[in-house]
Amino acid sequence: MKEDDDATLVRRCREGDRAAFERLVVRYQKPVYNAALRLLRDAEEAKDVAQTTFLKVFEHLGDYDPRFKFYSWIYRIAINESLNAIASRRFRGESDGEEADGAPGPDRQLEGEQISRAIEEALTHIKPELRAVIVLRHFLHLSYQDMGDILHLPEKTVKSRLYSARQLLRDHLLQQGTMV
Amino acid sequence: MADSEQLALIHAEIDGELDAHQRGELARRLLADPEVRTLREDLRRLCAALDAVADVEPPPRLRESILAALPQSTPIRERSRWPTPRIRYAAVILLVLAAGTVVYETVHGLKPSTSEVVGTIGPAGETTILDAVRLDRGRVTGRVSLYRDRTGLGLKFELSASAPVDVLIAGDGRTLRVEGVGRQDKPAQGKPGGALTVGLPGFGMDGQTIALTFLMNGREVGSTTLRAPGGR
Repeated sequence: MKEDDDATLVRRCREGDRAAFERLVVRYQKPVYNAALRLLRDAEEAKDVAQTTFLKVFEHLGDYDPRFKFYSWIYRIAINESLNAIASRRFRGESDGEEADGAPGPDRQLEGEQISRAIEEALTHIKPELRAVIVLRHFLHLSYQDMGDILHLPEKTVKSRLYSARQLLRDHLLQQGTMV
Repeated sequence: MADSEQLALIHAEIDGELDAHQRGELARRLLADPEVRTLREDLRRLCAALDAVADVEPPPRLRESILAALPQSTPIRERSRWPTPRIRYAAVILLVLAAGTVVYETVHGLKPSTSEVVGTIGPAGETTILDAVRLDRGRVTGRVSLYRDRTGLGLKFELSASAPVDVLIAGDGRTLRVEGVGRQDKPAQGKPGGALTVGLPGFGMDGQTIALTFLMNGREVGSTTLRAPGGR
């Protein structure tokens, strides 16, 4: 059976079909949760952000303009909620994600899970706005245009941020002796 | 040290955005500068590693918790757009007026003259303001009046808001929902939206208290009450 596309599910949601909304949840819970997790590096907060994101989507479906991509809209909400959560953390004087796994050391050969952990740790050392472009590009695999739509930025700015983010990640990994 | 142009070429190559001319330019620079080659290799490996980070499965009960948190009663529908609601409300008001005429004739057996009939389905004629409130704080501002005319009670909304406003009208054991009572204002001009009148069919008149709850995007953004002082 052919999967309903997003536009069809959104239309059915607007007609009061809660099962259609559940389909959207099933379809998007994983990328939304992962985006939040990469930005926040905290599973519990990522779960809260995912829940808030879907609640906002449900409440504002009436405002959604179907001429635009649904996934851009839901990712925008998820990214904004995550950035808000990071800002709240800072307001409360909390650190931005988990601390580094160990002190800087000599060059180490990393593999598999270690690489992922090194990257996740390095992500916490760059600004949340730069982290967001890395998440959109490398974890959600979106185009520059989609990224611009989600972040309300021109493509040129998106590229500039992405390049800066990569440079900073590389510099941090080199500094830690954990360049992948 | 790589300059910004070299960096842009390297990143564009990683993202598959180079044309033939740019590829040639990058190749030339790579041959000329070992530092650029190192940088390119580092960035390529970094991006490959980023792309390879595996997705994490969401918590097993995330879907259930999302669905359980959804409001049970919030209707999801496309936001109404002007002027459709106005036309709909005008039609409703006309219907109410017409129905009121029929009921009045049935109960009282009156045979109004032609001019009176015209008056019944036309403008409401004599209107008495029974109560009014001014909303000057919160996200909805303006004035709401409770009036009485020959058809019964009605509400007049002269409101402004930053987004479309719906109102729940509760009184006399009834609840009525009306959409689009606050037209989106134009902050730069500071002008309120236009007035909208809504008949309250079936609402009693004696000492009636009417509670209004304003909703924006399904969320309560304000409330007030109006009271009709005794019967006519």
